[in-house]
Amino acid sequence: MVDISIADATVEQILANQKGLIAIGAGLAVGLSGIASGIAEKDIGAAAVGAMAEREELFGKGLILTVIPETIVIFGLVVAILLLFL
Amino acid sequence: MFFNRRGSKKYAYITARVRAMKSKLIQREVFPKMMNMDLAEITRFIGESEYKQDVDELAQKYSGIDLVEHALNQNLARTYRKLLRVSQDEPHYLITEYLRYWDIWNIKTILRGKYYGAPLEEIQEAVVAAGQLGYRQLVSIASMESIDDIKVALENTPYHSAISDYQGGMLSTVENNLDKLYYSRILSSMDKSKGEKLSLKFIRTEIDLKNLKTLFRTKKADLPRDEIMELLIPGGAELKDGDLRRLVSLSWPDFIKSQEDYSYWSALSEVISEDMPSLMDVEAELDKYAMKYSSKVSHYYPLSILPIFDYIVRKNNEINNLRTIARGKESALSDDIIKKHLVM
Repeated sequence: MVDISIADATVEQILANQKGLIAIGAGLAVGLSGIASGIAEKDIGAAAVGAMAEREELFGKGLILTVIPETIVIFGLVVAILLLFL
Repeated sequence: MFFNRRGSKKYAYITARVRAMKSKLIQREVFPKMMNMDLAEITRFIGESEYKQDVDELAQKYSGIDLVEHALNQNLARTYRKLLRVSQDEPHYLITEYLRYWDIWNIKTILRGKYYGAPLEEIQEAVVAAGQLGYRQLVSIASMESIDDIKVALENTPYHSAISDYQGGMLSTVENNLDKLYYSRILSSMDKSKGEKLSLKFIRTEIDLKNLKTLFRTKKADLPRDEIMELLIPGGAELKDGDLRRLVSLSWPDFIKSQEDYSYWSALSEVISEDMPSLMDVEAELDKYAMKYSSKVSHYYPLSILPIFDYIVRKNNEINNLRTIARGKESALSDDIIKKHLVM
């Protein structure tokens, strides 16, 4: 293994390192928020299908309610974009 | 953590579905309207509602009040079976236990029919195959010659222990055993589903109301103490064993007065008095209390078994109301009397 201490690192190496950490952060922001909205949507989706099975006209409402937790992922995505491009 | 919310993922689907089913029940405003219809109109009305399939199926075989009666019974059985079909895991298990009520009901009906020598057809017509015993199984049990044969037929069911000691004579012991078996089974099944305190209380309240009805009837008829104690079901929420023993030993006026100590007084205070001629009002009020209570608790924990129990109670109540109106109209009872029997 190559042992690199910060003091010996060149500026390029430090910048590359930072880029890597930013990419991990962006990945976590999207990934974790995706898992979170998945957990939230699980129950709502099941309930929406249950309600729809009895009354088909609830399809529209069920669909909208099911995707509301999707906003969490959008926040995650926004954070990731901010991290990567700003 | 969410892992502790045991089984809620299994409840989301079934409770939402049951709520949608509940919205299809006949609204309470409709019942007074139905009072102005005659039997043919009532049949047509229910034939155009959720009961369409049942009325259509049975219309060739029956007519008049028989058609209404059979359609209602068949619909009840179909609805409850549907609940079992669309549920799984914990809710399925609890619904199964709760619907054993109808098995008990059917066994009682068959035994009574056999005891009084009713013809097979009549017994067949009275069974509601909403529990674990299917219609065919019930018919085969009902077609048996003697009560001993029925005992053998029930050998592999949980109900055998209640009936196995029966040696002839009055059926009341067997019926009590069946009731007690049902409630002890459902109470122990609830214990297994941890954290379901409110569901447990719901069942315990149901036991209380059942015991109260028994107490009112038996105290009014002035039955001996021991006999009344035999009829009561242990495990109530407010009326614990000690309370039951105390209530049983009281005289009729003291018994009426002692009702003030319990929360059911709020439901009973209007109709209760020492010299009431019939218990019809008391029983109707207790039924109303049961329904109000079940709908109240069903909102406390939306992701639990309670909304499903609430639906089961409501559906049964709707069927009872429709039957009351149809039967009342058929026997030309006055609207006031029919209205008194309705639980809304």
